[in-house]
Amino acid sequence: MADIKNKKIKRRSQWDEIWRRLRKNTGAMIGMAIVFVMVAVACSVDLIYDYDTEIIAQDIPNRYLEPCAEYWFGTDALGRDVFKRVVYGAKYSLLIGFMATVVSTAIALVLGSAAGYFGGKVDNLIMRFCDIWGAVPGLMLGMIIVSLLGPSIWNLIIAMGLGGISGKSRTVRAAVLTVRNSEYVESARSIGMPEWKIILKYILPNCMSPIIVAVTLGVAADIISASSLSFLGLGVQAPAPEWGAMLTSARENLRYYPYLAIFPGLAIMVTVLALNMFGDGLRDAMDPKLRR
Amino acid sequence: MAENMKNENLALDIQNLTIHYEVDGDIVEAVNDVSLQLENGKTLGLVGETGAGKTSTALAILKMIPDPPGIIKSGSITVCGHDVMKASKKELHAIRGKDVSMIFQDPMTSLNPVLTVGEQIAESVQLHEKGMSKSAALDRAMEMLETVGIPRERAFDYPHQFSGGMKQRVVIAIALACNPKLLLADEPTTALDVTIQAQVLDLMRKLREEYKMSMVMITHDLGIVAEVCDEVAVMYAGRIVERGTLREVFKNTKHPYTEGLFNSLPNPRDRKAELIPIPGLMPDPANLPQGCAFAPRCPYATEACTKAQPQPRKFSDTHTVLCTAYDDAGFHIRRNHNG
Repeated sequence: MADIKNKKIKRRSQWDEIWRRLRKNTGAMIGMAIVFVMVAVACSVDLIYDYDTEIIAQDIPNRYLEPCAEYWFGTDALGRDVFKRVVYGAKYSLLIGFMATVVSTAIALVLGSAAGYFGGKVDNLIMRFCDIWGAVPGLMLGMIIVSLLGPSIWNLIIAMGLGGISGKSRTVRAAVLTVRNSEYVESARSIGMPEWKIILKYILPNCMSPIIVAVTLGVAADIISASSLSFLGLGVQAPAPEWGAMLTSARENLRYYPYLAIFPGLAIMVTVLALNMFGDGLRDAMDPKLRR
Repeated sequence: MAENMKNENLALDIQNLTIHYEVDGDIVEAVNDVSLQLENGKTLGLVGETGAGKTSTALAILKMIPDPPGIIKSGSITVCGHDVMKASKKELHAIRGKDVSMIFQDPMTSLNPVLTVGEQIAESVQLHEKGMSKSAALDRAMEMLETVGIPRERAFDYPHQFSGGMKQRVVIAIALACNPKLLLADEPTTALDVTIQAQVLDLMRKLREEYKMSMVMITHDLGIVAEVCDEVAVMYAGRIVERGTLREVFKNTKHPYTEGLFNSLPNPRDRKAELIPIPGLMPDPANLPQGCAFAPRCPYATEACTKAQPQPRKFSDTHTVLCTAYDDAGFHIRRNHNG
């Protein structure tokens, strides 16, 4: 008896199935590997590099060096090593991207599941609010919030997070709606299960797939938006090596020293591409219609 | 006094139940003035075509009519001594699953895909046996699985690892986990193929006797009714048009609609005989005719049928028919009493 319980024979959950399908998708696995490396790097940059002496310290004699063995990505107008700055910048981009998505997802989970589960007037009110909120261009919303609160990483996160609410709320609501009317929710009700238990155990776990996909793709979109705001001077401020901010300083001498823009640009591109490939792969792995 | 004695023996007592769905200003009269009684230990077959109000009636017993758009206009429902209409939310949670359980039509979708079947059965047990430990509930779940003919090790499997017939067995196990006194089965075999249907029906019949349950079997398959039920209620457009024991309704059919149902079945003794389907479709429940709802399709309909609602007519203590034509003492339907 106890034996059976401990062995958990053939126990194969939905997540195992998803993981099995995801593994077959080479693009998604490459994307996931890159994302993991990026996250690992972003978490450990402060151990590798000393911010004051290696990242922002100026070294005028060595300014504008082409990429070479010592400076892989060359040096910028103040003689700083672009490679180190790009690597260090991963910290900002990923932190902002993930945190902004956490903020927007947390709010969207509450709004979306309330709208989807309770329906009627609540639904109408929340969704109309989302319509209006979503009608404001994301970049402009970010600019307004940052101008009001002042440019800093945390204000940027708040701005990006608030900007992502309406889209994600809609995703959550749609997912809750499909699950809410399913027969297993009805049958849970028919055995006398209280509502909060139904929402926690029956509805939300079954909504996870579209939400996880939206989160993964949302991080990519937020990284781009954050870089855009920094590029416009509204996000992370110089001398911090944020990729978007680095692009701004490279812009002046783009014709003579293009590598100053190419490498931070590539970093943004690779990160976003990896996240998108991973997200798309996740979507395919989780979409029951594609199941064989 | 005699009335009270009778009531105590009833597993289910529905009086004058009327349910409307109000959608965009249209009023859909799903259930009209339905009264039903079911004694302990008996099985009632609720027969009728899609949209006749069978499922609405069953959901009302658990007070699970989706509101909005559904509204219970009037009527009372008493289940095992509890007045469902007046029950609080908490009382309802206690009644559902403990006194009354329901089995849904499609086993493919009535299990939560993210929990193992063992967890789901155990959950039902734990909801109603306060203070029961998780592992005791799981033991009970494994016992239930064996009762419905599934090896206990499979408690750790997820629903997608089961076939349709197995899933319906699991659903039955969940419904029976707390020993309900009344089981509502909403077309439990419709989604299954014929051989599995027979197995599941056998299982349900066996368990009903073992657990001494009453059962309401909702179906549109008269074969299932003949096999499983003691009593029959035929529903049409939200009304019970004929109600009686199995024998009365099958051998001594009175209502033209019931006759039509039998005529549309193939007769195994006369394979060359043509089927006689009922002409036309059921009326739009948002726009029911003034008189008898079946009159437009009824071969016996007269002027009087279209004018007023027919009144119930008793042919025996148990046999009631809703048909105006019997006002004429000489009236009888054509169906020969040949089964």
